[in-house]
Amino acid sequence: MSKTDWFKPLQQILNCPIHAVTKTIAEWKDIVSANEAAPKPKQGLIPYVGQTADHNGTIWFVAGYNDSIVELLEIDRPTLLTTEKELISWTLQLNEQSPLHAKSGTASDTERSAKKLGEWIQRQLEADEPAYSLPDHLMIGNRLYNEMIPFLLVTEHTNAKQTAYAELEKLLKSFLSDDVLLIPLKNQEWLIWGPSSLLKDEDLDAFDEQEEESIEESLASIAIGLHEMLASEWIGECQLAVAHPATPANSLVETAILLRETINLGRKFHVGTNIHLPWMLQLERLLNSIPESQRTKYLEQSLKRTDLFVESEMLGTLETFFALDCNVSETAKKLYIHRNTLLYRLDKLKQETGLDVRLFRDAVLVKIILLLYKVTKRN
Amino acid sequence: MAGVRLEGIYKKYPGSDKASVTDVNLDIKDKEFLVLVGPSGCGKSTTLRMIAGLEEISEGKLYIGDRLVNDVAPKDRDIAMVFQSYALYPHMNVYQNMAFGLKLRKFKKADIDKRVREAAKILDIEHLLDRKPKALSGGQRQRVALGRAIVREPQVFLMDEPLSNLDAKLRGQMRAEISKLTKRLETTTIYVTHDQIEAMTMGDRIVVMKDGFIQQTASPEELYNHPKNIFVAGFIGAPSMNFISGTLSEKGGSVYFKASGVDVLVPEGKAASLRSKGYIGKEVILGIRPEDLHEEPVFMEASPNTIVNANVEVAENLGHEMYLYLNGIGTDTVIARVDGRSTIRDGVSVKLALDMNKAHLFDKESELNIFEN
Repeated sequence: MSKTDWFKPLQQILNCPIHAVTKTIAEWKDIVSANEAAPKPKQGLIPYVGQTADHNGTIWFVAGYNDSIVELLEIDRPTLLTTEKELISWTLQLNEQSPLHAKSGTASDTERSAKKLGEWIQRQLEADEPAYSLPDHLMIGNRLYNEMIPFLLVTEHTNAKQTAYAELEKLLKSFLSDDVLLIPLKNQEWLIWGPSSLLKDEDLDAFDEQEEESIEESLASIAIGLHEMLASEWIGECQLAVAHPATPANSLVETAILLRETINLGRKFHVGTNIHLPWMLQLERLLNSIPESQRTKYLEQSLKRTDLFVESEMLGTLETFFALDCNVSETAKKLYIHRNTLLYRLDKLKQETGLDVRLFRDAVLVKIILLLYKVTKRN
Repeated sequence: MAGVRLEGIYKKYPGSDKASVTDVNLDIKDKEFLVLVGPSGCGKSTTLRMIAGLEEISEGKLYIGDRLVNDVAPKDRDIAMVFQSYALYPHMNVYQNMAFGLKLRKFKKADIDKRVREAAKILDIEHLLDRKPKALSGGQRQRVALGRAIVREPQVFLMDEPLSNLDAKLRGQMRAEISKLTKRLETTTIYVTHDQIEAMTMGDRIVVMKDGFIQQTASPEELYNHPKNIFVAGFIGAPSMNFISGTLSEKGGSVYFKASGVDVLVPEGKAASLRSKGYIGKEVILGIRPEDLHEEPVFMEASPNTIVNANVEVAENLGHEMYLYLNGIGTDTVIARVDGRSTIRDGVSVKLALDMNKAHLFDKESELNIFEN
């Protein structure tokens, strides 16, 4: 149904003129801030379809929006009943008929539902006090009550065309299973829910000698496989985070917050890594919460003692050493150097800094210094 | 099949003032096996990832065949990639892993089956087709990753350190198998490694990179025998080339290279070039490979003007050959590779003759090979 189909009947029902107007985001924020009739919306000042505001006897309803403008229905009838307002708002939410949502005419039901879900999550993520439970009208059948594996996908290519929802959904269904829920969040950011059945592996019963894989290891290997597939079969490099299985209906917002934070931490502390796992970023999360000035001060004190930490050879050596749980033989093997060469490098570090990374206590300190160095050197 | 052409390719990451890859120009011929080699951070993987479409090209043009592919998505470039991590799809069995790319491209079931089984036969993994990746060994996983690339019958194979997760023995085996395979399939291959043995044994041509710049592109033999600069000379060869800083002087119509403990005659052919380029009296760096220091009496008799005295710090006998770590030739330790049956032991003094016909001289400032530039 186009706008012209319902505009006239709505004017007749309300018995007052209705105007379609466009305002900039800044103008809309001013209107919402000056809203006399209603308290400041929980979601903050970000527009959403169906949002209302009253000012100087005029009532506005958000019919659509993009990054710069908001399309509004303007009604000059201050006596509009609360129930009438709610009805209009609800109708707008159900039918995002704005020309700014031109694509929705050709989108599938799934895509439209997913888009609404995405907009709602996005509003919660930007709100001061996010609502964690999903409103009933956004429930997509029972599937949101099944336990699923959440992934957050962020694409990298700046000049890539906006990827079609249908194309990505089809690819994910071919790869994971038909039971995939794809929710677009921001531009080039997608929340993906895959079936938790991916973690069950009946075939492996035949291989009793295989060591039992932990759930984190399984999730990591699924994420690595998914990343590889997306990189080679889609539009190139992308960032991917995965979290423990959860029930979307109860945890959409928390999961999106966790995964977004995971990707942010991963990108900040581990440049060049594309797959980010929240359980591997606990120290990074802790360090990130320390005020910038304190982090810089600590790092300056540590680096004053030596330039060794900023030498690429030493950095590479220590990173490999820590990645291999401080195992000297394995590290030497991985770096293609003689064991004695590695021991020489570690002794040199000990001589210059007094820190012997073969001791747990010192290894922790050096690990922290390296993480902080990676963050501050780019600032 | 197709060649690949890189014209003035640059990669600059946002926020970085220095390019990670600078002005890379390469013309890779159809069916050629080209190896990109260099230390970590040299830009070899970034170059490969730009060819794959995983990284955007900041500047320059990339052609696969005659098609400009700068803005073509990886899936549409008709390439197949094999990476170090050989990230197999964990929830699919080997057959499904290999078939997935073809399924996406809407191949008929019968064609998919034919290609998968043929590739499995080539790679000797037919008996593993029903297994999940978790139930495979490292070598088997790597074969599956190769299989996944082969079934696509792409125009170009891109491989990024595909063997580095395997143990030494398996790496040797797979090295030979990949070489055999790419020759059989006659597919253009671009292969990234930091391992010079892989580079020397597999590549038709090798590109040596450092700090984002191509240092030299040449056949393995050319690189080994005619390195253009000190970096290439030191990077290719194990143990690496010895470098001795010294001065060139002329006495009685002959040119000599002099350094601490070294006073050797430069062959006339090379001396003429040094004279014409004005290097007499200047400081240069002598480069000599370990196998070009000789202890055999016959060689020493034939080269009395290139003999040096040295002390053997350590003699490492590998059986078929022996490495002598020597003091007294220049200021740094020099390594000589001699016959494994040699009787030389730790701590003794030895006389060795330098094969100056095979020696290189490098400009001290530019570090370029004086004879190759």
